[in-house]
Amino acid sequence: MQRSVVILMVVLAMVMSACAGGAPAAPAGGDDSGGKTVLRVWSHQNPSFIQANEAVIAKFMEQNPDIEVTYEQFEYDQFIQALQTSMQAGTEADVIEMFGSWVCSYAAGGRLAEVPVDVMSYTEAQELFFAAPLDGYYCDGKLYGLPNEFNLEVGGALVNPALFEGKDVPYPPVWDTMDTLREQAARLSEFDGDTMVRAGHHFVGGDGLPFLLLEGILEQGGSYFAEDGEHFTFDTPEAIATIQLLMDMAQTDKLVDPVLFNGEANQPYDGFFAGVVASSFIGSWAAGQGLVNYPDFEFDYVNTPVLFGTQRKYAADAGWGKVVSANSANQEAAWKLVQFMTAEQDNAVTFNGTTGTIPALKALVENPQELLTKAPWVEPTFKLLPDGQYLGNVSDRDKLFYDIIYPALLQALQGSMTAEQAAQTIHAQANEMVDAAQ
Amino acid sequence: MTRAAIAVDSGAKRKERTGLRPGQRAFVWGSLIPIFLYLGVFALFPMIWVVVLSFFNYSPVRVGDGPLGLGGRNPFIGLDNFTAMFADTQAADLFRTSVRNTLTFAFLVLVVNLAITLPLAVLVENVHARVKGLFRAVYFLPTISSAVAVAIMWGYVFHPQQGLLNNFIKLIGLTPPKAWLTDPSAVLLGVPLAMIAVIIAYVWMDFGYNLVIFIAALQGIPHEIRDAAHIDGATGWQEFRRITVPLLRPTLLLVCTLTMISSFQVFVIFQVMTGGGPQNQTRSLTMEIYENAFRFQAMGWAASMSLVLFAMVLIVTLVQFRVLRTDWEY
Repeated sequence: MQRSVVILMVVLAMVMSACAGGAPAAPAGGDDSGGKTVLRVWSHQNPSFIQANEAVIAKFMEQNPDIEVTYEQFEYDQFIQALQTSMQAGTEADVIEMFGSWVCSYAAGGRLAEVPVDVMSYTEAQELFFAAPLDGYYCDGKLYGLPNEFNLEVGGALVNPALFEGKDVPYPPVWDTMDTLREQAARLSEFDGDTMVRAGHHFVGGDGLPFLLLEGILEQGGSYFAEDGEHFTFDTPEAIATIQLLMDMAQTDKLVDPVLFNGEANQPYDGFFAGVVASSFIGSWAAGQGLVNYPDFEFDYVNTPVLFGTQRKYAADAGWGKVVSANSANQEAAWKLVQFMTAEQDNAVTFNGTTGTIPALKALVENPQELLTKAPWVEPTFKLLPDGQYLGNVSDRDKLFYDIIYPALLQALQGSMTAEQAAQTIHAQANEMVDAAQ
Repeated sequence: MTRAAIAVDSGAKRKERTGLRPGQRAFVWGSLIPIFLYLGVFALFPMIWVVVLSFFNYSPVRVGDGPLGLGGRNPFIGLDNFTAMFADTQAADLFRTSVRNTLTFAFLVLVVNLAITLPLAVLVENVHARVKGLFRAVYFLPTISSAVAVAIMWGYVFHPQQGLLNNFIKLIGLTPPKAWLTDPSAVLLGVPLAMIAVIIAYVWMDFGYNLVIFIAALQGIPHEIRDAAHIDGATGWQEFRRITVPLLRPTLLLVCTLTMISSFQVFVIFQVMTGGGPQNQTRSLTMEIYENAFRFQAMGWAASMSLVLFAMVLIVTLVQFRVLRTDWEY
């Protein structure tokens, strides 16, 4: 019996030590290594993001020999799961690349550190960054990180010159009004019998549709937030008119068949580069990604018109940026790195130029030459940037967009709902989400 | 009796009980404990954790006040997650839709799978021994394919414009469906076309398992019974219906149970082929659990749905055991 117990203890010890050996270093990982402060940085695995981050981190270590930075990346889906599980275990990195629209939920959960005032105050940040990306990092009067990217999903479209040939539509198109866009894009659609084989203008994406709805509401002078600033008003005349406009574009103008071209099949990006979409309503990031993934594919990125009136108003996500874990034992060094990676102009050029993303830093738009040599396709977006406002604290952005707005709008476009029914459905479900979160 | 004698006696009794010498016992303990610990850490603990989480409004993005991050911002809510399943809310509606879809999928897969594998196994069993292995290998091949690859491949087959299936349907002069995977209005016998498409893909991928099991079971049926039936003038169909099927009942139980359990757990093929669409017609319970746990960070709600899935598997398995059990052997 005693021998069995001894064996049991030995095996237990072996297993426990094996488990311990496999565990990653704690973020308190800031343990010193040869007199150096060690920082860990996490990001997702987009190749251009990795390339940009690596370049800036290398420069940071060169200028700060007392700080060693370990940079780790995760495949996108695993990144989110790794974040959630590691934060629970307290093993996350010191500095984390986070999508701005997620920041407030992590901050409210106590997972993120506030930006120290001596690093940057919100007022100082407002001077440096555009409002839309910055405000995603500003929660309940506190700043929780700094943005790298202005995430813009509206105001532009990829266009394929080959599919404009013989259609009597000027190329590149100059779409000043929705009427012009609708009239010209309708001529670009192609059919085999009743089946659409090429979409003239594909806007039925998981991000595109919700952002179009928000833009339509704002441009008509409406708001999608209720007076309490937490609940929603998606059952307004402005929302219904926007949904009706989108339905008319699909059902009357036949710019796109939402059964064959939507967020699941022939998505705006995939369908465009598969050559079955003449123009695709999508953010400018798609142009940068397209140049990398389809270097021989000829295309351009052009502006699309405002949906209503003459003044563009739109909501935008706060794009990718950097935050610091509340668990980090090296807050000072971590914030030094965050500031270096986001607020220093040269490094921002490296990041936005390499990733092809729109800059969050105003200075890069005011002096765009260096950036435009690296990412010329972002230029059409520059005139839109001051008109954007942050999406707002929408409780759960992904749920609101992908589980509530997109499915209801898709049903309306596919003819299963009226505009009023879609608006009511979105209104009820979005407010239910808010109530459930409270 | 002296203490030494008692010790010798108890040692002998213990050896009698286990049939092992002390050294052998140590080896057994040494072998079993690591596996037990492995299962404890990676299977038992997560299961207990799921049960615990189902009573909390838990999200990993929130820091809790109590042990393991529970309490505080992740409060205890008793049975609220379970009562919420019956509420008139979008979340509850999606949950109920996913349960319905999962049950539809599992029962249809079972029926289609059995309708294909059992007769096919009888046919394969009756071909010449030289080619039997070839048939078995060919039919088993899809089973070892990656589910993602299978889903992508079938996605191409069902593609509305370039897909093999629609082109074949056009070739024989019929009108194909507008879209197999994305048209919410396309329904056949009350079942969404997208669900039928996923079932076809899944059965194609999965039927090799059951085929091999049935072939093995058929080989175990004594020839004397079949010979007697032949002598009595039984036809092939009568032999299949009155002898083969009844004698395969224990195997049927195994196959039904395994097929149902694996059908309840299918995730990849739904995710890749349809993403749960169109209009949630193929949203399975596993997808709903995944989305809520890892996309929307509602882990307490996802945990409670996992327990419902567990209960569904348990109930269906018990019913199958009850209906198909046998008290005999051959």
